[in-house]
Amino acid sequence: MQRRIIFALLAIVVIAVMLIKPRLPITVTDSTRGVYDQIEALDSGAVIMLSFDHEASSLPEIGPIGAAIAEHCFRRGISVVGLALFSEGNALGYDLLSRRAADAGRTYGTDWMYLGFRPQYTAAILGMGENIGDVFATDYNGTPITSFPLGERVRTYDDIALVVSIADGSMPTYWIEYAANRYGEKIIAALSAVMVTSFTPYLESGQLAGILTGLKGAAEYEQLLGIPKAGTRGMAAQSAAHVLIAFLVLWGNVDAWRRRKSDGTKR
Amino acid sequence: MMWETTITALLTLAIYTILVGDNPLYKFAEHLLLGLTIGYSLVITVKSILIPQAITPMAEGSLAAVIPIVLGSVMFLRVHAKLAGWSQIPLALLIGAGAGAAIPAMMQARVLKQVSATISGSGTLDGVIILLGVIVTIMYFVFTRPHSGGWGKAAVAGRYFMMIFFGATFAYTVMSRMALLIGRLEFLLADWLGVM
Repeated sequence: MQRRIIFALLAIVVIAVMLIKPRLPITVTDSTRGVYDQIEALDSGAVIMLSFDHEASSLPEIGPIGAAIAEHCFRRGISVVGLALFSEGNALGYDLLSRRAADAGRTYGTDWMYLGFRPQYTAAILGMGENIGDVFATDYNGTPITSFPLGERVRTYDDIALVVSIADGSMPTYWIEYAANRYGEKIIAALSAVMVTSFTPYLESGQLAGILTGLKGAAEYEQLLGIPKAGTRGMAAQSAAHVLIAFLVLWGNVDAWRRRKSDGTKR
Repeated sequence: MMWETTITALLTLAIYTILVGDNPLYKFAEHLLLGLTIGYSLVITVKSILIPQAITPMAEGSLAAVIPIVLGSVMFLRVHAKLAGWSQIPLALLIGAGAGAAIPAMMQARVLKQVSATISGSGTLDGVIILLGVIVTIMYFVFTRPHSGGWGKAAVAGRYFMMIFFGATFAYTVMSRMALLIGRLEFLLADWLGVM
């Protein structure tokens, strides 16, 4: 089959489902529930660090996860410290947190703060274990972090209950190696789906406290929060696309098997 | 509708024209994306690192930033045929410090803790399957011994374990790419055309 026919079929199926908007049940996996329960168990006033370790191109997939976690934190009265270890994630993270904080009526400097971007992630992650102020003397807007009540409260990882690395690459590995194993910090990886198989061994070995998986993870988290948003909206279209691709893979295999049989060739 | 939305939508469509074939519209959008990404990263790095951590302190009389600035500048001597050797000094410092920090951390996270978890988890059915999978997959990668007899059968089992892993990874990749497609289509249909 021509590639272009497959592209067209996929576009038609996804657009049709998005316009029809069928309601499909969303099952919450243990992995997502585990992350939700850990944040739910934190005391009001605890601090979570959200690290936006992704590029702009992954935003449609992992942006909804960051939004759902931020919403959960602000709803529970948990303070959020944001930062980026990828330059592209810098403005995206600030934009996401400022919107969620505004919706929840949270105050900058008290309920949330955005540290900005630092290159050389190894040095940045290790440095924050000694003193966050040494790595980020000023926040995203250039104001000294110690001028904010939250900046005064947060000195090292001892003051951070959880780090959530929202990533489309291998950055959570470095959080595990330098923040978890060296400073005992709990790390959660909110990943684009393509990275999940690479990080499952870290979850199984107890080095990660949890994993959230792409748009599906966002939809499950929204389900737990009771706020159907971007993740939930995308699930019907995602399911339809998966069914079509599975069908095409099966068809391709059957067709290849038939051709080999008619040619009399063996693999 | 804001004009930024229309520009974004047109650029999204320009990128998708690659599905029909290579064309100037796609090239334009691709080059624009690359240029913007590099320019943005450069500006962010200068604004959040070079100015506050090097230029401003030096302007205020602090000499602490002089050493890294000098070492960083020496890196650029690589382009000079006769002075290129000087660039080895900052490079050696970087590699030495980087390896010193990375090797113990990597050994701990990627090898020791994984081996420990693989062994200690063998009390459960999942753990036994993982342990077997690790052993037969490693056997597949022993190339100094012929893959025949019992060893060969174990190596084949290792290959099947890897195929399951590749299949799962491919399925997750499909899931990931579909999520990106859905995100862009939602933008086009809802934010741009307003039909959702």
